[in-house]
Amino acid sequence: MKRRNIILTSISILLLLVFIFVADSSFDAYKVRILNLCAIYTVLGLSMNLINGFTGLFSLGHAGFMAVGAYTTALLTMSAATKQQNFFLAPILPPLDRLNAPFLVALLVGGLLSAFVALLIGAPVLRLKGDYLAIATLGFSEIIRIVFTNTQRITNGALGLKAIPSTTNLWWSYGAAAFTVVIMALLISSSYGKAFKAIREDEIAAESMGINLFKHKVLSFVIGAFFAGVGGGLLGSLMGTIDPQMFKFAFTFNILLIIVLGGMGSITGTVIAAFIISSAGELLRFLDQSINLGFVVIPGISGLRMVVFSALLMVVVLFFRNGLMGTNEFSWDKVIGLLQRRPLIKRRLGQ
Amino acid sequence: MGHMTLDLFLQHLTNGISLGSLYALIAIGYTMVYGILRLINFAHGDIFMMAVYFSFFGVATFGMPWYAAFIVAIILTALLGMVVERAAYKPLRESPKVNILVSAIGASFLLQNLAVVIFGGRPKAFPTVKLLQEVMTIGSVTLQRLTLVIPVVTLTLLAGLLFLINNTKSGMAMRAVSKDHETAGLMGVDVNRTITLTFGIGSALAAVGAIMWGMKFPQINPTMGVIPGLKCFIAAVIGGIGNITGAVIGGFILGVGEIMLVAMLPSLTGYRDAFAFILLIVILLFKPTGIMGEKISEKV
Amino acid sequence: MSVLKTENITMKFGGLTAVKDFNLELNQNEIVALIGPNGAGKTTAFNMITGVYRPTTGSIIYNGQRIAGLKPDAITRLGLARTFQNIRLFKELSVLDNVFIANHLHLNSNIFEATFRLPRYRREKREKLQRSEFLIEKLGLKEFMNEKSSSLPYGLQRRLEIARALATDPKILLLDEPAAGMNPKETDDLTAFIKEIRDEFDLTIFMIEHHMHLVMGISDRIYVLDHGVTIAEGNPYEIQNDPRVIEAYLGVSEDAED
Repeated sequence: MKRRNIILTSISILLLLVFIFVADSSFDAYKVRILNLCAIYTVLGLSMNLINGFTGLFSLGHAGFMAVGAYTTALLTMSAATKQQNFFLAPILPPLDRLNAPFLVALLVGGLLSAFVALLIGAPVLRLKGDYLAIATLGFSEIIRIVFTNTQRITNGALGLKAIPSTTNLWWSYGAAAFTVVIMALLISSSYGKAFKAIREDEIAAESMGINLFKHKVLSFVIGAFFAGVGGGLLGSLMGTIDPQMFKFAFTFNILLIIVLGGMGSITGTVIAAFIISSAGELLRFLDQSINLGFVVIPGISGLRMVVFSALLMVVVLFFRNGLMGTNEFSWDKVIGLLQRRPLIKRRLGQ
Repeated sequence: MGHMTLDLFLQHLTNGISLGSLYALIAIGYTMVYGILRLINFAHGDIFMMAVYFSFFGVATFGMPWYAAFIVAIILTALLGMVVERAAYKPLRESPKVNILVSAIGASFLLQNLAVVIFGGRPKAFPTVKLLQEVMTIGSVTLQRLTLVIPVVTLTLLAGLLFLINNTKSGMAMRAVSKDHETAGLMGVDVNRTITLTFGIGSALAAVGAIMWGMKFPQINPTMGVIPGLKCFIAAVIGGIGNITGAVIGGFILGVGEIMLVAMLPSLTGYRDAFAFILLIVILLFKPTGIMGEKISEKV
Repeated sequence: MSVLKTENITMKFGGLTAVKDFNLELNQNEIVALIGPNGAGKTTAFNMITGVYRPTTGSIIYNGQRIAGLKPDAITRLGLARTFQNIRLFKELSVLDNVFIANHLHLNSNIFEATFRLPRYRREKREKLQRSEFLIEKLGLKEFMNEKSSSLPYGLQRRLEIARALATDPKILLLDEPAAGMNPKETDDLTAFIKEIRDEFDLTIFMIEHHMHLVMGISDRIYVLDHGVTIAEGNPYEIQNDPRVIEAYLGVSEDAED
């Protein structure tokens, strides 16, 4: 890396830290919540983009992985008393009642369990292609949800879990987002990441170049699921409440919207789109709620927000197929090149 | 099923066949579109839902007699299917498959949420049709007249559709396009018109299914198309995607299987919706071409 | 010394027999061509040897090991690399990445070492990058190293496919119509080039080709397929004078193709 770029990167990180510090201490709860969501959706978007954008596997099972992470983290961080209050229909299955772990450990265990579920699902499903893979992963995601609705003594069934300790704050969420961005960038630029891209470009050629398709697809799927689980854990802790209804296909749809808008196969694009979609998701809430202007009340129309989102997805895919970034990534050289209105410096390779 | 009496078994079987017939009608739409475009029409379940609302408003708001409302609903649904095809799929004909799938998912969510906005999210009650919903008793089996009507309607429509496909010019065009768009185009078939027609027919059949569904399960809401939609796609896969008779057989297998599972193993009632997905995964792993499908292999 | 031998390999698709009882033998450092009219089953034979299809019957023996039914990646790892008739590059990726990816199969570092750039991965990466750059230069693609592979002209894309195949470090190289779309000058260059890489990389070469000039000028031996059946086998002189070949093939050769 050039000296100039190192300096620029260091300054940006410092500015981000200052911003988080200021936001954490002085922003109101609503703004902090939106900022948290932006970071968590970054984690979720990147995890799905690894599978769908970089490896070219059209998987629609993301909500299921998030559910596994969210439930695991919640159950590991709730106190025995809270658990008892939650499980009033049927007592919680021992030893879950006494299991407890620090937040970081709980997040990691959530991610690992989610990755393990992905391994079990991936073994049969990743032999399928295209829309068959899509529908099978969607099916598994629904099965996870149905199982969670029925395992009353583990997940509290349809009642869900309430009063999950709200540990997620800006430091946690931005820490997780930064960690995910760095790992993804390193992974994607490594030999394995390039093998993933080769599979996306042409499976038959990749296989003929000695790339074991199944092994690499499983790797991508499992790593993606790990981060989806971590994201789910953070989200559950932020919301304070989770239930199986939350993890329907609509949730996967939101993440899909992020990666399509940002560009399938771009880390930068995913980060930008995660911020746009999660802010818009909150800011457009007024569409669904009535607004009281003092002298007149404008009735909100429930569902309008999702109409905007689904229309947005269609507009992007119909008219801007590459999304915001296509498969391009941010680099200081490009930014400075743009600023100086010089032709773009050719992307350096290998890094 | 040691403790199940024959009567009870027959009762469940009729219910299963009836439900299966509804699945079959919706599954045909999936299989026709897949056959011609190699695409899961994710919006199909939502088109089905719209049909329910069209007939609801025809009867409840505009006070039309039920048969008139139903006919109008079928026509409107067919038009809606064609509009979805023109707006969401046609512009992407030459695009990578992922884009078309995303567009399909977008169309699905758009319809669903438009329905929430326009019709309201709260469930409504589908109008009753006395003639069809009267309860009758055959031997010791008690059922609605509807339960018997549904399979008859389905099989009649299946026969009509097969006749159309095998014996008419439009049917021949459909078969040609499903084999190869380019060649069909060169042979003088209007490919786009044929695809639109396929969506129209598939949607009309889904509308018939939707109306009978509304009478059988009268509580209607904007997300009611999601689960039947997924299940019917699964039915189409079980039967062998692209094959119309297969879709109907798949629908029956799914409907009867689901009802029987719950009847014989009541403790698994909560897992009823998972049954279809498990069946799907088993089929995809062991016989991905389904019961009647043909193998499509990629050229290297 | 025989390095690859197929014994009566047959491929049936439904009721159609694409290749019937194909018996091939490749000796160390030979250049062997497979010719025949369109639809004769040449690419199908290739696909069986490289693992894309599993032969319906028959066996394939490579250095004493039975390889029929192995997956393509396993076969490539054993030392058989190929190019494709209808160019299958990783289109969105750069020329360098295309070749670098073909080194991936010999990477010993695991995904953890690679992601965190641990010493073993750094060393391996350096070696593989050097080797990729060497191959790219060898194939005359140096100035395009960082271009998107799909932006290369057709002829260079074919060369890139050869560079990519060489990067897997093969013992046997299978070329599926390497001269397709090339002009006579380029074809002549290719003739010299194929011999050159055979010597430099100690290869055995098996190729499908339609340009008779190239085939006759380069091949040690030639197999002729027609309707899936081997109708002749021999050196270029024998093939050129074989009445069955003339009837089946040579009469319609060059002008009917491309």
